[in-house]
Amino acid sequence: MVSTQDDLIILKDVSVSYWQNNVGVHSIKDLVVQRKNPFQSKTILQNISLTVKKGESLGMLGRNGCGKSTLLRTIAGIIKPQTGTVEVKGTFAPILAIGAGLEAELNGYENISLLLSLYGTNKKNGDPLGNIREFSELTDEVLRMPVKRYSSGMVARLAFSISLANEADILIIDEVLAVGDQGFQAKCMEKIYQIKKEGKTILFVSHFPDAVQQICDKAVLLENGSIVENGNVEYVCNKYSQLF
Amino acid sequence: MQNVTRIYALSKRNVILRYKSSLIGFFWGFFKPLLYLFIFIVIFSSQFNSINNYILYATSGLIFWFFFANVTNQSIANIVGSSGIIKSLSIPSIFFPLSDMISELFNLVLTLFVFVILMHWFGIIYSLKLLLIIPAALLFGLFSLGITLILSSLNVFFRDIGIVWGTVQPALFYLTPIAYPESLIPPHYKFIIKCNPIYYYISLARGIFYDATVPPAHLWLLCGVMAIFMYAVGLVIFNKLKNQFISAI
Repeated sequence: MVSTQDDLIILKDVSVSYWQNNVGVHSIKDLVVQRKNPFQSKTILQNISLTVKKGESLGMLGRNGCGKSTLLRTIAGIIKPQTGTVEVKGTFAPILAIGAGLEAELNGYENISLLLSLYGTNKKNGDPLGNIREFSELTDEVLRMPVKRYSSGMVARLAFSISLANEADILIIDEVLAVGDQGFQAKCMEKIYQIKKEGKTILFVSHFPDAVQQICDKAVLLENGSIVENGNVEYVCNKYSQLF
Repeated sequence: MQNVTRIYALSKRNVILRYKSSLIGFFWGFFKPLLYLFIFIVIFSSQFNSINNYILYATSGLIFWFFFANVTNQSIANIVGSSGIIKSLSIPSIFFPLSDMISELFNLVLTLFVFVILMHWFGIIYSLKLLLIIPAALLFGLFSLGITLILSSLNVFFRDIGIVWGTVQPALFYLTPIAYPESLIPPHYKFIIKCNPIYYYISLARGIFYDATVPPAHLWLLCGVMAIFMYAVGLVIFNKLKNQFISAI
């Protein structure tokens, strides 16, 4: 695979394994009796090679637990692969998959300020807080409440709005659309189209082939941590539907 | 520069989270040592009239001890508790223990400030020598960070660490002459105290506040070497484990 100027994300032979730590009293016994290491390595991703061009939208499909989120995190640099290389020329918005990453005890404003500073959003550049409030349609009263009292739809609104506020080159969407109400879903789709038009790159994880076909040009199908299909979005979505 | 903002944001979050729904919030930082001091005065001051100026003696040790206890207690759970952020943003994991250390250091500075004013009535001698507490606090901070790196990274995989530390830490407190005079320890048990690294940092603080002297160079050197050593060991362990944090939180 020759990398060209346009390739934004290049993964070569990436493998990721986790320690499966089932530490407990039984593991002491296993260690002493059978000399079994309590930390078994479990492969999550195997020899993933993938390129995404600038302006391209890639859909990721697969069963639950096939490694989609791990792949997203590896691309975003949150997980360091054991073998292989990940090369990314661009910035990411935080992956706020259905609100993970939001601090449940903090209120909306505190979460926004924390995540924007952690992400390093330039506050002089526009008005990120205003944009978040406008896009999420959450009222001042709601934003003053701790996030733990939010409904799952409100959490999704806040999380998605924060990731949009970062003006990153690469937008990662991990099942955020599943919980929002109809109005918000439509709004999100519209926003995603707009971002796509601006020539930004989108990585989209979803269990709805229809949504994937609407947004993406290409798609990959993951099975047990490897890419089994990679190519045209209709073709891959078809393969995905055949799984079940 | 961006990293400074990030660590600051995390420290702020630590402080907000810790004192959420508490009435006096951040002020617990110095009310807690004050409460302990009160208990010590009631229990011990008549026992230890051999120490002159018991209040100053006990406080000078207590403030440093609380810094250490807070840093370690807070950050043991911090990596596990920050799983949401760790899983959604790519930021160096060392920022979590570091942010705890910094928020506690800030707390320590405030406490010291109040303490120095309060101790006016308990016989503190004001001089420029008091400023030596700044390098002393920084060395102790580095040492505590080292311990914290070890504890917090191991605690990700063995949550026993947090539980064990909850009992080891009070034991360490009583093994360090903070509330009682050093002379109370029988000579043939002195070596136990000498093996306790915290003893030396407490001596440093006590030398500056209580004895109002410049602590001897060998004590500074020892504290410096221990701080760097602890930090290096902590960093090695932390770096070895950090890539696997995500699999266990």
